[in-house]
Amino acid sequence: MKGRVICAVIAALLPGIGSLGAVPSAEARVSLEKCTLCHGKPEFRKILVDGKIRDLFVTADTLKGSVHEKKTCVDCHFDISEIPHRERPRRIACTHCHYKGNAEGAPQSDAYLAYFDSVHGKAIAKGNSKAPLCQDCHGNHNILKAKNPEAAVARTKVAETCGRCHIEIYAQYKTSIHGVALGKGIVEAPSCTGCHGEHKIYGHEDPKSTVYATHVADQCSKCHASVSVMGKFGIETEQVATYKESFHGVASQFGSRTVANCASCHGTHDIRPAEDPLSSVNPKNVPKTCGKCHPGANPNFAVGKMHIDAKKKEAGIVYYVASFFKYLTIGTMLALIAHIFLDMYGRTRRLRGEK
Amino acid sequence: MRVDEKREPLQEIIEKEIEAALAEETAHLDPEKAAELREKIRRRVREEMEREIRLRTAAERREEERRRREERRREKRHEEGEMFQRFNRNFRFQHIVMFTSVILLIITGMPIKFPNFILSRFVVAMWGGIGNSTIVHRIGAGMLIYFMVHHLFYTILSRDGRRDFMLLIPMPKDVRDAARNIRYFLGRTTEKPRFGRFSYIEKFDYWAVYWGCVIMIGSGALLWGESIALKFFPKFVLDIAHEAHSDEALLATLAIVIWHFYNVHFNPDRFPGTLMWWHGQISEHEMKDHHPLEYEEIMAKRAKQEAAEVINR
Repeated sequence: MKGRVICAVIAALLPGIGSLGAVPSAEARVSLEKCTLCHGKPEFRKILVDGKIRDLFVTADTLKGSVHEKKTCVDCHFDISEIPHRERPRRIACTHCHYKGNAEGAPQSDAYLAYFDSVHGKAIAKGNSKAPLCQDCHGNHNILKAKNPEAAVARTKVAETCGRCHIEIYAQYKTSIHGVALGKGIVEAPSCTGCHGEHKIYGHEDPKSTVYATHVADQCSKCHASVSVMGKFGIETEQVATYKESFHGVASQFGSRTVANCASCHGTHDIRPAEDPLSSVNPKNVPKTCGKCHPGANPNFAVGKMHIDAKKKEAGIVYYVASFFKYLTIGTMLALIAHIFLDMYGRTRRLRGEK
Repeated sequence: MRVDEKREPLQEIIEKEIEAALAEETAHLDPEKAAELREKIRRRVREEMEREIRLRTAAERREEERRRREERRREKRHEEGEMFQRFNRNFRFQHIVMFTSVILLIITGMPIKFPNFILSRFVVAMWGGIGNSTIVHRIGAGMLIYFMVHHLFYTILSRDGRRDFMLLIPMPKDVRDAARNIRYFLGRTTEKPRFGRFSYIEKFDYWAVYWGCVIMIGSGALLWGESIALKFFPKFVLDIAHEAHSDEALLATLAIVIWHFYNVHFNPDRFPGTLMWWHGQISEHEMKDHHPLEYEEIMAKRAKQEAAEVINR
């Protein structure tokens, strides 16, 4: 009696177990055919209330070439169950698959977790519908690996991607020395993500940010202190060391946010070489740039080198002042210490009873 | 109570005398007027006497206290002998202002010169960040500037200041003293150099502080008022000020910590330091040992005064 019941249960379950492997692929094909019924028509689009046109044209080739080539519509648009859709389909949640330990074959990385803490992730959490989700930067159907130069997040393309929202900054960046260099195909030049980070982008007033006032010098020096990078373009690397020795650099290291960092003088997105008349460190503009913090800086002030190293002869008079004090200190201290030791020697002699 | 006991007999005698004198003076006046006048004078005299006695007893008490302290000290260290006033109150005040300001300046300034030194971060954090640390540095700077101005006025206006300044001017004798002192250290001569009020060591300290103050205050003022300085000078002037300020700070710190501390603290004669900066007094023993010429001068002056007193008497 008991055995029969178990057999019956197993018999009832068998078809279900068999269908687990076979059904999804069949269903996927079905779903694609069903979707392209409407979405396959080139004129299939929606006019939004603000007059914008949302193109809804999708074919079987849309995902071709992207990293999701083998996926089908409902793998991501899994909330769609009815045709025509009664409700507006929701935005895609990439984390449905992209988490560490997933069984879908998505990259095993939790780098995306940083996004939720970032300025963009927080804006989303606050309900800002304009803040970007994954697909706003990485693309919708045409997602490519970041290493692929065609990807929206590729090094040469990412500025354009960010610029879709940050238009003014993109315009500044594009004409800056970094933007121009990257445009010429110099891959060492930083794009947006080079300074701001990728997923962990924070507002510049957030202490976690790589462009927080006290972190700017470190961020710039990642490239500018490296002889192997700067050597290729004939740019000096001692700027970093001379800044760190100056009062600005020291106070910044101790956490002062009011002193000048690299960006205070050289600009942020609009960094240009000093020879450029539009540059904030062009001798003509130096009084104005210094005047931001030190009101009344005169044109005279711009004469001479800004980043000086007192230990080198190029520093001119400062070098000689430093040398004077160096030898004065050594000489004086040697004489004084010699006097002290002679005194102690004499005392020892007298203690021993020698005359 | 004791004061009253002391006062009673004295007061009685004096009052009797006054009474007698008054009676003599007012004999020719009519009795009513005389009584009134007598009463008035008596009251006035009593007030005056009480005041004087009060003052005298206070001064006596202080004097008595001082004498007893002196005796105790003499019993304890009989070899030191009499105490001489070496530095006056004004001079000690200047020294206290100066070392307070210099300590503040060093502990707030050195972390800026050596930001990578391991303690620097803690020292800056102790003040609550670089912002506060720079404010404390400016307070120290203000004190040092005050000290400098005070000392200039002291040198010009005070008699002691003028005398000390004249005695602090380097003389050929100082070179001879230094040479002899070194020979004495080496055992080439058994005779110590005989110093006056200021030895060549003290003269060096004095002029080192002068030089240090001029450099530090001059360059520090440029860096403090950098926005004003930028209006008139090219950048290299501020660079020089920055370099000089930083280098002279190191020199001054080393000189204080090594040289001055050895001479006044770690030196076996003085270890772990004396309270001369507080009471300004020097014992006869030390006086004879370190400033024999000054001691002799004081003794000669005293002998002359005593002789003069004898003659006057």
